[in-house]
Amino acid sequence: MATALPTLRRNWLVTMRAYQWTYFVGTLATGILTVGLAYLAFHAIGGGRAGGGFAAAAGTADYLGYVTVGAAASMFTVRMVLWVAKAQITEQREGTLESQVLAPARRLPYLVGVGLQALTTTVVEVVVMLAFAIMIGVRLPAPDPVTLLAAFVAASVAVFGISVPLSAIMISVGEAHITQNTLFVAMGLLCGFTFPPAYLPDPLRWLGEALPVTSALRALRAATLDHAPLSVAAPDLLLCLALGLAYLAVGLRLLGPAERIAIQRGGSA
Amino acid sequence: MIVTHELRKSFPAQRKLFRPAGPATDAVDGLSLSIPPGAVTGLLGLNGAGKTTTIKVLATLLRPTSGSVTVDGLDVVDHAREIRRRINLIAGGERMVYARLTGRENLWYFGQLYDVPRAVLGTRIDELLELVGLTDAAGTLVERYSRGMRQRLSIARGLINAPAYLLLDEPTLGLDAPIARDLRAVVANLARDGVGVLLTSHYLAEVEQLCGHVYVVDHGRLVAEGSPTALTAGTRLPHTVELTLAEHAPAVSAAVAALGAEFEVGVDTEERPTFLLRSPEDLAGELATAVVRAGGAIVRLEVNPPTLEDAILAMAGTPTSVAAR
Ligand SMILES: Nc1ncnc2c1ncn2[C@@H]1O[C@H](COP(=O)(O)OP(=O)(O)OP(=O)(O)O)[C@@H](O)[C@H]1O
Ligand SMILES: [Mg+2]
Repeated sequence: MATALPTLRRNWLVTMRAYQWTYFVGTLATGILTVGLAYLAFHAIGGGRAGGGFAAAAGTADYLGYVTVGAAASMFTVRMVLWVAKAQITEQREGTLESQVLAPARRLPYLVGVGLQALTTTVVEVVVMLAFAIMIGVRLPAPDPVTLLAAFVAASVAVFGISVPLSAIMISVGEAHITQNTLFVAMGLLCGFTFPPAYLPDPLRWLGEALPVTSALRALRAATLDHAPLSVAAPDLLLCLALGLAYLAVGLRLLGPAERIAIQRGGSA
Repeated sequence: MIVTHELRKSFPAQRKLFRPAGPATDAVDGLSLSIPPGAVTGLLGLNGAGKTTTIKVLATLLRPTSGSVTVDGLDVVDHAREIRRRINLIAGGERMVYARLTGRENLWYFGQLYDVPRAVLGTRIDELLELVGLTDAAGTLVERYSRGMRQRLSIARGLINAPAYLLLDEPTLGLDAPIARDLRAVVANLARDGVGVLLTSHYLAEVEQLCGHVYVVDHGRLVAEGSPTALTAGTRLPHTVELTLAEHAPAVSAAVAALGAEFEVGVDTEERPTFLLRSPEDLAGELATAVVRAGGAIVRLEVNPPTLEDAILAMAGTPTSVAAR
C-alpha cells in the first residue's frame, strides 16, 4: 500500500493547482436541477402528493426525499467514476503511463490513492448539493448513523470496484467518452437513481442488480428515508460489497493486459 | 547481465474496417544480445531498425512475441516486477514526467513508486537535481520547463531507483551541448560503478566515445557487432585526404596520380586547387611528400578516417550515402 498515500498527495497537489471550477458548477447544476425539477413536478403536477403506485414500488411515499438521495448518490457515483476510471487514461494522454508501468508499484494502491483523493473532493460536492436541497425545503429525515456510514462505505467500494474494469477498457480502446457515458446511461436507467427499478421489465431489473450501485442505493435510502437499523440493510450491504469486490478483482486482472495493449498501441516512439 | 536469445517482436497490422489486415511488422527479428554490468553497450541502426522496440521489451513495457530475455537470470515475462526494481529507462523527447508537479515533486513521487527508502530519498533527489542542473528550477512546475529541462528531469527520473541496468534510448535528444557532455560523463561514471548501460543514439560520436561493444541492427536483425574501431575497420571504408595548394602547379597532378589511389581534382572557395583522395589506407604522408617533391606549396591537409556512421550506413546497405561523403 506504499503507493496509495503518495498518489493521494500527488493528486491533491494537482487538484489544488488546477481545480476545474466548471466541473464543480457543472455537476452541482445537474444535482440541483434534478432535485429542483422533481420539486416542481411534485408540487405543480402532483399537487404535493406522489401516486399510490410510487409508494408501493419505491417503498416510501417521500418522493422528494427519494429523488434527493438518488441525485446525491448519482453525483457521488459519476464523480468517483470519472476520477478513478479516468486516472490511467489521463496518464496515457499526458505521456506518463509508460513511466508508471515501468515502476514496480502495484496498481491497486495507486488506484486507492486516486480514490481516496476523489472521495474527499466528491464528498464536499455532495454536501453542497444536499445543503441546497434542504434550503429549497426538501425535508431529509434524520438518518440512522450506523447504517448510513455502512452504506457509504459499501457504496464507495461499489463505485471503486466498477471503476477499475472501466479503466482497463478505457486504456485498451484509448477512449473515455463513449465508455463512461454508456455506463452512466445504463446506471441512470437501471440503478434506481430517479425512479424505482420495480417499474422496469424483469430482465432489465436483473441487469440493474448486477451493478453494485443498485444495492448500494437501496441501503442508502433505507438508512436515510426509513431510518433502518443495520440488520435490515445488511443483505443489500453484503450484496453490494460482494459485487463491488468482484468487479474490482476482475478489473485488476484486466489492467495488466490493458496496459500492454495501450503501450503497444501508443505508436512507435 | 541482460541476455536476449532469439528475441522477436512483431506488431499486428492495423485492422481496417471491411479491409483485410496487411502483414504484421517484425520490428525485432531474432536478436541475441548481451548487456553486461559495468559497461556501456551500444545499439545502433537506422530509423525503424527496431532499437526502441528492443529497449521496450527489455524494460518490460512490451512482451516478446517469441524468444527470451533475462535480467540477471530472471525472465522478463515471469518476473517483470522484480526486474522493474533493477532497471530504468530514459528515452529522449518523451513526456515521461508530470507537467502539473514541480521537478522535485516528480522525483519524490517516482521515488515512492520505486519504494526508495525515506532515509535515502531526500538526499538522492538533491543529488540528482544537482546532477542534471535543475536545482534552481526544482520548485517550478514542469509545465513551465523548456523541453531540455524536461528531458533533464526525465534523466533524473531514470536514475531515481539507482538502477543496476540503465536503458538509454536517444537520451541526449534535444539537450544542449554542455548538458549532453555532462550526461556522457555521468553515463561513463555509472558504468565504472558497475551499472550495465544500453545506449542507442543517433550521435555516433557519443557512441564511439562511450561504448566498448556495439551491436548494429537493421530491420530487426543483427548485422554486425564489435568495438567501434573494429566495426569501422571491418567495413574497409576509405580514408579521405583533402589537400589544398597555394597555386596551380602542373607537376603535382602527375605526382598524385602516381600514388595509384582514386582522386578528384577541384578548387576551393578562393579558387585554389584541391585534391581529394580516397583509399583504404591513410595516404596523407605519402601524398604530402609527393606534392612537395613535385614543387607544390601545401596550404591545408585534412585527413578523415572512416567513421562509425559510414560503417553503419554501409552495413545497412545504403552505399550511396557513403559515396556522398
Ligand atoms: N507500437 C507499434 N505498433 C506498430 N508498429 C510499431 C510499433 N512500434 C514500432 N513499430 C514498427 O517497428 C519498427 C521498428 O520501430 P522502432 O521504433 O523500434 O525503430 P527504431 O530503431 O527505434 O527507430 P528510430 O531510430 O527512428 O527511433 C518500425 O517499422 C515501426 O514502424
Ligand atoms: Mg527509436
